[in-house]
Amino acid sequence: MTKINEQKVNSDFAMNFGPAHPGSGNFAIKVEMRGERVLKATADPGYLHRGFEKLMEYREPMQNSVLSDRVCVLEPLQWNLVHAEAVDYLMGYEIPERAKYIRVILAELSRIQSHFIWYAVLSLGTGFMTGFNISIGYRDYILDVLNLITGGRVYPAGYICPGGIRKDFPEKAENKILELLPKIDYMRKFMLKENPAWLSRFKEIGVLTKEEAIKFGATGPVLRGSGVAADVRRDDPYEIYDELEFDIPVMDEGDALARFNVGVQEIEESMKIITQAIERLPKGEVRTPTLKPIVKFQNAKGEIYIRNELSRGEGAFYMVATGQKTPYRVKIRGPSFTHMIPIVEHLLTGVDYADVPAIYWSLYQCPADVDR
Amino acid sequence: MKLGIIKEVFKNVFTKPMTLLFPFERLEIPERNRGEHSFDIDTCISCGACARICPNLALEMIEAPPEMKEKYPKTYPQIDIGKCCFCGLCEDTCPKGSIKLTTNVFLATFDKDDTVRSPMSWNK
Repeated sequence: MTKINEQKVNSDFAMNFGPAHPGSGNFAIKVEMRGERVLKATADPGYLHRGFEKLMEYREPMQNSVLSDRVCVLEPLQWNLVHAEAVDYLMGYEIPERAKYIRVILAELSRIQSHFIWYAVLSLGTGFMTGFNISIGYRDYILDVLNLITGGRVYPAGYICPGGIRKDFPEKAENKILELLPKIDYMRKFMLKENPAWLSRFKEIGVLTKEEAIKFGATGPVLRGSGVAADVRRDDPYEIYDELEFDIPVMDEGDALARFNVGVQEIEESMKIITQAIERLPKGEVRTPTLKPIVKFQNAKGEIYIRNELSRGEGAFYMVATGQKTPYRVKIRGPSFTHMIPIVEHLLTGVDYADVPAIYWSLYQCPADVDR
Repeated sequence: MKLGIIKEVFKNVFTKPMTLLFPFERLEIPERNRGEHSFDIDTCISCGACARICPNLALEMIEAPPEMKEKYPKTYPQIDIGKCCFCGLCEDTCPKGSIKLTTNVFLATFDKDDTVRSPMSWNK
């Protein structure tokens, strides 16, 4: 990064990157330019604010479970899981063993399809259309299985609900998931080896050092791409993650390629988790209190801050119960907020404009989760 | 490397494409799919549980029209598909299994009023 003269010259101009652009949309970055060089970048969020935190104060937990899908379009099952865990804690539910395994299998499938989307938007943003098409195509195989299990392709509508899950696996669902794994593996290898010229574009750009990553509050693949081995599944295990064997991929470079490679390696780890969980899947009940979708939230009192490792980083729910039918207060912590505002502003300062899309999409953003 | 490309080309010539020719071929929709609702008025006990759990207030309990009032004296759910988020909570909460979500996903209409299904005209 070169030093930039603060004094303005006549050729300086400002332009907007977004809010309508391929890949994500709903998020703008105002860039001040001098020729081809970015002088200053200012994030401009807020195009997708839906007010989930307030909405949840007016709805019962089962209804909130349906709402929690929509926090992030690309990883709805994982957001379901965080919400369900918060309510489970406040209600004191004991989750049946089978439900815990199914929750983990679905969360990992969701992580894989989310990583495929990451590859797709990274390709789309930097002009590699083959990558986009093939990645979206392979993601569809996963969506078919999710449709079979949850009844919806993208939105599971609160399939992972307080007390367990809403319905047991249908017949042969385990086989369908195992049949998926070779396809996922093919796509993973494609991501690693296809188009070395395109991959070389991400080398040594958008370098986030270890200290900066910690200072700005990065989590997930962005933090692990900067050389910090932190993962909630390992540090603060939930569900059955402490019984499973898997590695935490870490890379020291901190550039865009390192972040992306961490994501690709995570797909392999998720496949390991799914295989182990399906092998050990016990039989039994899938929901604690009753099969009817009613949670007596009047019995709950207290507060809880619960965090999970989503595909983008650390996602958390803070929930307060005061003996009413609905939660008194809900606060959602999305992983993309720190990546999209302080980190993107920091990384874009002083780079060439041609590198802006590559850096922006390498941060694994989700505008829906920034605005909530 | 070059041989690898030729191998890939031959493989792709003889494999099926990933896409389907939609109106002629269709993707099989699983039984659990949350599509259009079906409602059986004869098994409904008018408990109103579906209307209470609906997160989007798409269900409303209404009375039967005068000519059918003798046969159906209570209130029955009317749904506005335009408000529905297809979560399936009404199906899960129904004690008699009167409401079910089906595999029909073709719900586009030309008229806005067609999105409202009254309990008498709902498909079974």
